[in-house]
Amino acid sequence: MENLSFEESLEKLEEIVNKLENGDVPLDDAIDEFTKAMQLVKVCNTKLNNAEEAIAKIVQDNGELVDFNVNE
Amino acid sequence: MENETYTVSQINAYLNKMLKRDPNLRIVYVKGEISNYSVSPTGHSYFTLKDEKSQLSAVMFKGRKHNLKFEPENGMKVIVKGKIEVYEVGGKYQLQASRITEDGIGNLHIAFEQLKKKLDKEGLFDDAHKKEIPKYPKRIGVVTARTGAAIRDIITTIKRRYPYCEVLVFSTLVQGDMAAPQIVRQIKNAQQYDIDTLIVGRGGGSIEDLWPFNEEIVAREIYSCKIPVISAVGHEIDVTISDYVADKRAATPTAAAEIAVPDIKDVKYKLNQLNLRINKNINDKLKENRLKIDNISKKQVLKSPESIYEIKQMHLDNVIGKLNYASKNIISQNRNRLIKTESKSILKNPDEVIRAKREIFLRNTDKLKILNPLLTLKRGYSIAKVDDKVVSSAKDVKSGDQLDIEFDDGTVNTKVI
Repeated sequence: MENLSFEESLEKLEEIVNKLENGDVPLDDAIDEFTKAMQLVKVCNTKLNNAEEAIAKIVQDNGELVDFNVNE
Repeated sequence: MENETYTVSQINAYLNKMLKRDPNLRIVYVKGEISNYSVSPTGHSYFTLKDEKSQLSAVMFKGRKHNLKFEPENGMKVIVKGKIEVYEVGGKYQLQASRITEDGIGNLHIAFEQLKKKLDKEGLFDDAHKKEIPKYPKRIGVVTARTGAAIRDIITTIKRRYPYCEVLVFSTLVQGDMAAPQIVRQIKNAQQYDIDTLIVGRGGGSIEDLWPFNEEIVAREIYSCKIPVISAVGHEIDVTISDYVADKRAATPTAAAEIAVPDIKDVKYKLNQLNLRINKNINDKLKENRLKIDNISKKQVLKSPESIYEIKQMHLDNVIGKLNYASKNIISQNRNRLIKTESKSILKNPDEVIRAKREIFLRNTDKLKILNPLLTLKRGYSIAKVDDKVVSSAKDVKSGDQLDIEFDDGTVNTKVI
């Protein structure tokens, strides 16, 4: 589950929530799904909280990436 | 009607109405040379458009002049976009200009329409070819000029909304003849990088400024680009071929950035909502099941489980009681019988019993001796019998009967007389 991208995690989470809300899921399965969902929430939160602010870069003619300052 | 007389105003109003009704005159592009150009104190521009043979009055109202990219001068060859109308007060028809472009640029409009038609026919604008723009991109590529408002707006917007997204700038000329090939090269270049979405565009400018984004090579490169492309050329009103062919058109560079990345506030809100929803869902489910359990456990049998075996135990006790009673009974009966048997005197004192029995026996023998009929016969009595039956009454015999008289020492046969 850690390997999922943020988008995949969020989509999976959404899928589980919808499934639980719409389907008649037996309690045992629901608890399994819930556990999974809680892990996904954690993964998403971790990803969001640990995400570092990205710096814009400019691709130079030689392919090198150089930090790009908007105020230049 | 034929001879009806009209006022001047009526004629002019009628002509105005007629001209306005003609769809061909609603939007016209007129090519000519500017002469008699003047600006009135109210700010409106009046001029005459002329060619070798003819001339046409024209006016551009003050409110339209923000569209002007240059200050018109006499002798300038221009293409004027506008509509033909009658100026009723002056009794003359004129071209009411909405846009004036230098001639040569006018050809661009034609080129634009031609290319648009061609690519549309080829299916380059079809929705079926449009790629989905990723919702949570990690890296956005921007093909635009490294200086200027466009790249600044894009980067600031992305940083404000979704700061985790990296922006890769692929700098290119965005106007002039050299721009289109550079734009094409940078779109190709961008595909070498791991990019989720590519923004291609520039800030506002004149139609000539925006022209590279109307070039066929740029349109085809955007079309074949493997990365989803958002076009962001100029302002709201400017629409380029790139906009038609891109997967998504943004009205401005800022709008492109807003399409390219989500707002982190929305993402956090959504995540929070999902979290709340699933927790509520599972809690409801648990509550529901708990209620079921409660209902079941309220049933007497589960409330006091001992009641299940209490009844059984009662049965058991009952059976055991009976069993005990029965066995005791059997034992006591047998004991009683044993005691009785033991108490019989024959066992206690057999000789005495035998003597007593003998006495009784002897007494009975004496009685038998007394009752023996044979002894009676010895004493002189006899027994009369008819046909072996004892005759005990005189009435039992009649005359002629054979009568046997038994004596002690023999029988005499007689006959009743």
